[in-house]
Amino acid sequence: MAIRREKPSLEKLSMVGKDGSRQAIHPADVKGRFLRRRTIVYLLLIAIYVSLPFVEVGGRPAVFLDVGARQFFLFGATFNAQDFWLVVFLLAAIGFSLFFVTAWLGRVWCGWACPQTVFLEGVYRRIERWIEGPREKRIRLDAAPLSLEKAARKAAKHALFILVSLFLSHVLLSFFVSIGSLAEIVRQDPRENWVAFLWTMLVAAALYFNFAWFREQLCIVVCPYGRLQSALQDEHSLIIGYDTRRGEPRGKIRRSDRVSLPVVVGAPIQAEEPAKGDCVDCNRCVVVCPTGIDIRNGLQMECIGCARCIDACDDVMIKVGRPTGLIRYDSHNGLEGLPKKTVRPRLALYGAILLVACLGLVVGLGTRTPFEANLLRMRGAPFLIGEASIRNQFELHLVNKNPDASSFRVQVVNGDDRGMKVTMPHEDVELDSLQDYRLPIFVEVPKERFGGPFEVEVRVLDGGSERERTVRGTFLGPTASR
Amino acid sequence: MSETRKPIDSNEPLDTGHDYDGIREYDNALPNWWLATLYLSIVFAFGYWMYYHVIGTGQLQMEAYHAEMALAEAQQAERAAARGAVGDDELLAMASDGAKVDAGKAEYTTYCVACHGMSGEGGIGPNLTDDHWLHGAKPTEILKVISEGVPSKGMASWGPVLGADKVEKLTAFVITLKGKNVPGKAPEGMLVSD
Repeated sequence: MAIRREKPSLEKLSMVGKDGSRQAIHPADVKGRFLRRRTIVYLLLIAIYVSLPFVEVGGRPAVFLDVGARQFFLFGATFNAQDFWLVVFLLAAIGFSLFFVTAWLGRVWCGWACPQTVFLEGVYRRIERWIEGPREKRIRLDAAPLSLEKAARKAAKHALFILVSLFLSHVLLSFFVSIGSLAEIVRQDPRENWVAFLWTMLVAAALYFNFAWFREQLCIVVCPYGRLQSALQDEHSLIIGYDTRRGEPRGKIRRSDRVSLPVVVGAPIQAEEPAKGDCVDCNRCVVVCPTGIDIRNGLQMECIGCARCIDACDDVMIKVGRPTGLIRYDSHNGLEGLPKKTVRPRLALYGAILLVACLGLVVGLGTRTPFEANLLRMRGAPFLIGEASIRNQFELHLVNKNPDASSFRVQVVNGDDRGMKVTMPHEDVELDSLQDYRLPIFVEVPKERFGGPFEVEVRVLDGGSERERTVRGTFLGPTASR
Repeated sequence: MSETRKPIDSNEPLDTGHDYDGIREYDNALPNWWLATLYLSIVFAFGYWMYYHVIGTGQLQMEAYHAEMALAEAQQAERAAARGAVGDDELLAMASDGAKVDAGKAEYTTYCVACHGMSGEGGIGPNLTDDHWLHGAKPTEILKVISEGVPSKGMASWGPVLGADKVEKLTAFVITLKGKNVPGKAPEGMLVSD
């Protein structure tokens, strides 16, 4: 006794009732090759997320974003606020890889890798299925009046949801405080770390709200990437589609359609019956859909490309002895029977921009030194003329971006041919991590040796990283008399 | 996709008749939670308006800014009062305190010898041991030069580098150099005799 539900249509969202109420979507169970593969991918991604806080690179957490100290440890490298410009390339690379993948493979990100899908389908929906049973049971439970059993099942489910949400939010927090201090923080009074406590609780509450109730509305109503699809895809992008040419006109299988049935002599001739398509209108593709659409209505923005309908339809096609792939991964053109194309200007353009962004990131990371050094001119007159010499006064601004204290050696490395005399209070500078320092450097050149502005080169050697960098400043003086 | 869609029964949404290049607008119900955000923001806006603009309990941005600046100034004055204003007498007293002078000398040998010489005889910077002073000979004047520098002449400002405490000790040490008349750079500035 199935409860009658409204049929999905293109005119309205399945999860919003006529009165604006939330209509829970209860996808039916499905088995198949894509589900199997997705399960493996989900498990892998969840394992990475949960185990990453424990991974250390070079004695520090692999991912540790210390926002308070503006220090960011990523896989052995240390970044501080001065490195923020790299984020431009990072975001461009991430953005355009999404563009590129979307134009090429459609919404594989949404169906296979987005945390929303991974945790909803990989964790929360499994818990729900485990406690409340398959689709029909869940629908009936929702419709049933409150009973002891219903209350017990709902309470158990939500308790587990809350536990999982708390766990996931603690994992998230560990990326910002490191797993070591997280272990300490959770043993302390929340009031001692109330900011971290509040964040963790807020994130847990948001996760719970999202995965217990909001669910697919995030993809359909909130996610900007989902809304960009129509602008990024074209008729050659890989989508999940229903082969209308093969499937229509759909219809239930009747005895008379079975070609394998022996022809009974004298049976009525079936000439009036129009030829049936392969779709048996079993509605399986609709009931397994996590966003509550009918894929046979064509590509819709609600489709997150999860491939559950492919598995469901293939299963049915095998049972009725028809070829699989009535619903399949294919391009719009492929489904229409038009020529297919993979390489096209859109893909080349997105790819080229992606490449530029990646190149920028690689070059930026490669030339980065774990310290900042800038040679500045000291305030005041650009040059001072003494009795026998001309003097320029510089100031070397040093910032130690190493994760630890480091000592720097500063040397002026050119100008011997001009009889240059360099005076600075000291050559070695000891700096704590992220400490900065201004070192005055006085440079003198005998008047008769000055023939016009020239470059002063200052070499900074970082004892910690053994990286060096040469910074330059211009030595100025009175221009040669004409 | 079908070309025409008409409401078949009462379950079908109302077609508003707006059609833009085949994209049609329907008058569907908005999700209730969505409407709730609208109503909640109206309630919030009323509360906000009352709090900041009608009753005036809350501080607007400029008020908050001024209040914070006033607070910072008060705190600064408090800190200065707690430290005790350093005047000429205090600095002179420090100059006869051996420990403080030694501490100042340590800073001197690290930061100052490059320009003022090992014994204060001068180099790039003026001779500190004679009776001529470019920027005043009073202890507070010496402190000011060390702390804030003389950019036009290349004297760096050491206050931000060393901090007030070390600058004071350094001043104490420099006071002890006065009158030692170490041969070196010729006297510069005004003769100050006391």
